[in-house]
Amino acid sequence: MEQQIVAQTLYGIPLNAYILLSAVLFSIGVLGVLYRRNIIIILMCIELMLNAVNLLMAAFGAFRGDSNGQIFVFFIMAVAAAEVAVGLAILVMIYRNTKNTDIDNMSKLKW
Amino acid sequence: MKSLLLLSGLGVGAMVAELINIKRFLFPLVCLGLIATIGVSIYDWNTDIHLFNNMLRLDNFALLFTASLSLITLLWLIGAKKYIETETSISDKYALTMFTLLGAFIMVSYNNFTMLFIGIEILSISLYVLAGSKKNDLFSNEAALKYFLMGSFATGFLLFGIALIYGVTGSFHIDVVGEYCRANAGNIPTMFVAAIVLIIVGLAFKVSAAPFHFWAPDVYTGSPTMVASFMITVVKTAAIVAFLRLFFAAFGYIPGTWQAIISVITVLTMYIGNVTAVFQQNVKRMLAYSGVAHAGYLLIALVALTNLSGGAIFYYTLVYSIATLMAFHILYIVSDNKNEGVGFEAFNGLAKRNPLMALGITVSMLSLAGIPPLAGFFGKYYVFTAALEAGRYKLVILAVIASLISVYYYFKIIIAAYYHKSNKAPIELSPAHRFLYIASIFLLLFLALAPDFLIRWAK
Amino acid sequence: MTKLVALVPILPLLGFVIVGLGGKKLSKSLSGWIASGVVLISFVVSLILFFHLNQNSEQEVSIKLFDWIAAGRFSADLTLMVDPLTSIFLLVITGVGFLIHLYSIGYMHDDEGHNKFFSYLNLFVFFMLLLVMGSNFLVMYVGWEGVGLCSYLLIGFWHKNNSYNNAAKKAFIVNRIGDLGFLLGMFLIYVTFGSLNYSEVFSQAKFYVSDEPVLIAITLLLFVGAVGKSAQLPLYTWLPDAMAGPTPVSALIHAATMVTAGIYMVARSNILYTLAPTSLHIVALIGVITAVFAATIGLLQNDIKKVLAYSTVSQLGYMFLALGMGAYTTAVFHVVTHAFFKALLFLGAGSVIHAMGGEQDIRKMGGLKSHLPTTYLTFLIGTIAISGIPPFAGFFSKDEILAHAFAHNKIFWLLGLGGSVLTAFYMFRLLYLTFFGSFRGTHHQQQHLHESPKSITIPLIVLAALSVVGGFIGLPEAFHTKHLLKSFLSPVFADSDLRMLPAEITHATEYALMALAIIIVIVVVLLARNKYVVKGELPLQDGAPMTALPKLIAHKYYVDEIYDSFIVKPLHWIGTIFYRFMDIQVIDALVNFVGKATVWSSDRVRLIQTGKIGYYVFVMVLSVALLLLYISY
Repeated sequence: MEQQIVAQTLYGIPLNAYILLSAVLFSIGVLGVLYRRNIIIILMCIELMLNAVNLLMAAFGAFRGDSNGQIFVFFIMAVAAAEVAVGLAILVMIYRNTKNTDIDNMSKLKW
Repeated sequence: MKSLLLLSGLGVGAMVAELINIKRFLFPLVCLGLIATIGVSIYDWNTDIHLFNNMLRLDNFALLFTASLSLITLLWLIGAKKYIETETSISDKYALTMFTLLGAFIMVSYNNFTMLFIGIEILSISLYVLAGSKKNDLFSNEAALKYFLMGSFATGFLLFGIALIYGVTGSFHIDVVGEYCRANAGNIPTMFVAAIVLIIVGLAFKVSAAPFHFWAPDVYTGSPTMVASFMITVVKTAAIVAFLRLFFAAFGYIPGTWQAIISVITVLTMYIGNVTAVFQQNVKRMLAYSGVAHAGYLLIALVALTNLSGGAIFYYTLVYSIATLMAFHILYIVSDNKNEGVGFEAFNGLAKRNPLMALGITVSMLSLAGIPPLAGFFGKYYVFTAALEAGRYKLVILAVIASLISVYYYFKIIIAAYYHKSNKAPIELSPAHRFLYIASIFLLLFLALAPDFLIRWAK
Repeated sequence: MTKLVALVPILPLLGFVIVGLGGKKLSKSLSGWIASGVVLISFVVSLILFFHLNQNSEQEVSIKLFDWIAAGRFSADLTLMVDPLTSIFLLVITGVGFLIHLYSIGYMHDDEGHNKFFSYLNLFVFFMLLLVMGSNFLVMYVGWEGVGLCSYLLIGFWHKNNSYNNAAKKAFIVNRIGDLGFLLGMFLIYVTFGSLNYSEVFSQAKFYVSDEPVLIAITLLLFVGAVGKSAQLPLYTWLPDAMAGPTPVSALIHAATMVTAGIYMVARSNILYTLAPTSLHIVALIGVITAVFAATIGLLQNDIKKVLAYSTVSQLGYMFLALGMGAYTTAVFHVVTHAFFKALLFLGAGSVIHAMGGEQDIRKMGGLKSHLPTTYLTFLIGTIAISGIPPFAGFFSKDEILAHAFAHNKIFWLLGLGGSVLTAFYMFRLLYLTFFGSFRGTHHQQQHLHESPKSITIPLIVLAALSVVGGFIGLPEAFHTKHLLKSFLSPVFADSDLRMLPAEITHATEYALMALAIIIVIVVVLLARNKYVVKGELPLQDGAPMTALPKLIAHKYYVDEIYDSFIVKPLHWIGTIFYRFMDIQVIDALVNFVGKATVWSSDRVRLIQTGKIGYYVFVMVLSVALLLLYISY
């Protein structure tokens, strides 16, 4: 009973609102990557971007009554987990060598 | 299916080999595996297998590239054996290489956006690790970080684009999307066009097309030389094929906007790549920029998108990969295993130190520059023919001018090898390397003699 | 059988690769035998193919190796084919080629570039085979350029001598003029017929009206190529200079094979020429003039190889005369006999030079008969053969040409006869001065006179035998025998023969002409003997005063000087002007500017690669924003 109410409330919100929300979330992620200097926070911002996509996929799937979107979300979550694992490993490796997690520090390769 | 299982098996097997200590059998095993994947590609020829509910489609076009990617990896492996086995975590490198190739295989045979995404990620995550495989080398660290951060960032755009396409068409299947494009050709919603743009961004990043190429020179320079050579050939091939598959099957029905965008990207890529390469003092970095420039030539065939495009891209990537691999292998030996790369002076007097290597680098550079009668010339010839057939005259003219610029920096190496003196000791080559050079030179000459021999398969 | 066809050119290529790559690691004798062996096997295969064609009604055997280029409408494949015409050339190239390879083993034995020499020779044979075996004009052109390249490499083989290098360059440049004609002709063929394949071109050409302008243009352009390659007026000057190369090269490339490529080309496209009588007339005219012109120069040359070189130019002129009269079979016949006796003469000259320690001036020879008996005998046979004394090979082919000329145009006949008289004179002059009389060289040279080793004399003997009997493949019809060569080649020239007016002369006339020619030649030989043996006259020393005509001839009609002052010098002069003004001040400045601008912009553009991830990401996002902005309009 309660679930139905939740579902109805969800459908009550128009699709465009979901699109807008995920676009905003995505943009916040992008801006975070642009403005933050700490590698860990940049990683989190990228995760935010991926989650915005997840939200969008789920919303589209729900509104179309199609499960493909939700399944894709699982793929993204799994891959994102793997990616973060590798990313953090790279970060640890760098921290060991430079004792630093500032992204501007990593600019020896240029021109 | 067989080759996917084979590659995964090899990858997992390589990691197990670490445990039960049979590492020294890995090299022949992996080589045999690669030969087997070539064999499987030939065996499956003309069968058009659909896998996983039509999410993967092993048509002839895909098989052609699984075969050529295996061949390129085999050539790479023969030269890279020394690199892989002189450092730590040997089996990990074999395993990661196999997984990268697995990702590339999926990228050339996908028929569904899910598979495109998975393929790209399998390929990329393995490469993030490989790029940073020199753990104590700051350059390698930086390369891994740059590649990782920007790669995931670009994936975000790609995914957003895929989500939007799903929203509009209700499916991840390329065929369905193509059907949608054809049915609504005159009436495409802006959201869909935005989705195409975001997907272009994601894929253009992988082929290192300007202005999304910035990672490429840095990552190629910072990664271990052998890893860079793997990335610049295998990854580029897989990415451009993924590009072509998508646009051929789906977006080809609604040219116009995206063609204009990719034309601009193409020209930018060719010129930024070639012009920047001119001033480079570090050969590895020069080759990295040359790789960027070649992505530009490849994109020309994509813009043209005629029936000739597939054959042209197949021939071009194969020839380009062989020539580039040979150049990197020679560079690896000449630079005495120095990761940060060396200047042109390292090639001084190569003709005296080892004539075969000098010949190899000459053939490779001439082929990359597209000088007849080498195969690189015919690669460009076919790409340009495809573009001319599509009426893209301006693009071809610009491309020819760009390739004239490239002659400048390619010849710098040849000049160093033949006209500059050096008092360094002669270089002794291992039989494997000698075989590799002779085979590559032979291929570059043979493919030039019989370009049609290959192109015919791609039709 | 078709598989064998591919073997013929691949074997010499293999030889080139083995000997070329083997470099100094292969011992001299091994590389020599490998190089000769592959040509020998090619020869055997050619023989098999020849008999196959001779016995079967098949008109050609061909094998398609692969599609070479296919772009749009244009396609060319690499197909090798052997038909009667090709088969004859194959036998000459591989047969005579093998003998010359064998000869070279002895001749080049002490040369430091021994292995390089053999690899070049094999490469040459490969390209020459490709030239005659291709089934379209493009493959012929590849072979054509390839033999030119090898010729260049081999003329300048002793590249430490600068004048040899110049000779090589001259040969290359003069040939380029001809090649340009060939290339243009090829383009025109493609434009006209839409294909370069012989079968398609010739079958379409059959439906053209005689003397259609486009056919005249095509045939004349192709002929320009032939004039360059086969050293006819006005492009013959490179051939005498080409004698700078080692003697086996002169024998193989500049007498027996490469220079006959022009004949092959015209014979191959015979139907085009038959349908363009105007062009044929020009071919005949150039041929006969060259034949006489070069023969007169031969009269007063004192370098043993130069005499032979001018003789080659003259004999090639005869071949073009035959072609020009539509007597394609006769031209091929003369190619064959000429290959035998001219290769023989060159190799004999090589043997003499070998014995004389590199001396080539006949004024410093004399009396070699007793020191070099085998060389003398074989050289004598060659001389008799070229002079046209029966029953030696040259007689039959030359007589056939003269008979055709008589039926066709009496002036051509008279000139041809005059040329053969001159030939007889200068050849016997050469023979007498070299082998008769007393030795005129230095004492040191006399000490070292010796007969050459077996590997040199055996090829001489074989070629001498061929020069004796080679003419029997084409006995005149007046003898009531079958003209073997004619019946063998008839399928190739069938279409042309249908369209040619039969230029028959009665057998009685033919006998009379033969008798006349023989008598005159014998008289001339006796005159030469009287002058050089009985009276013992010697050619004048360089710089000695001469009357006008001999002086003109001795200086080769000043053709080189004329070319030099009217073509080379003005070109140089224009070149200098262009170099000083256009090149340095305009082009160089422009090129330098472009180059510098590129480097400068490269220096600036690379700065956009700042190395900072934040910046990279920013550019990416900015680009995405711009693109999204662009599509929303």
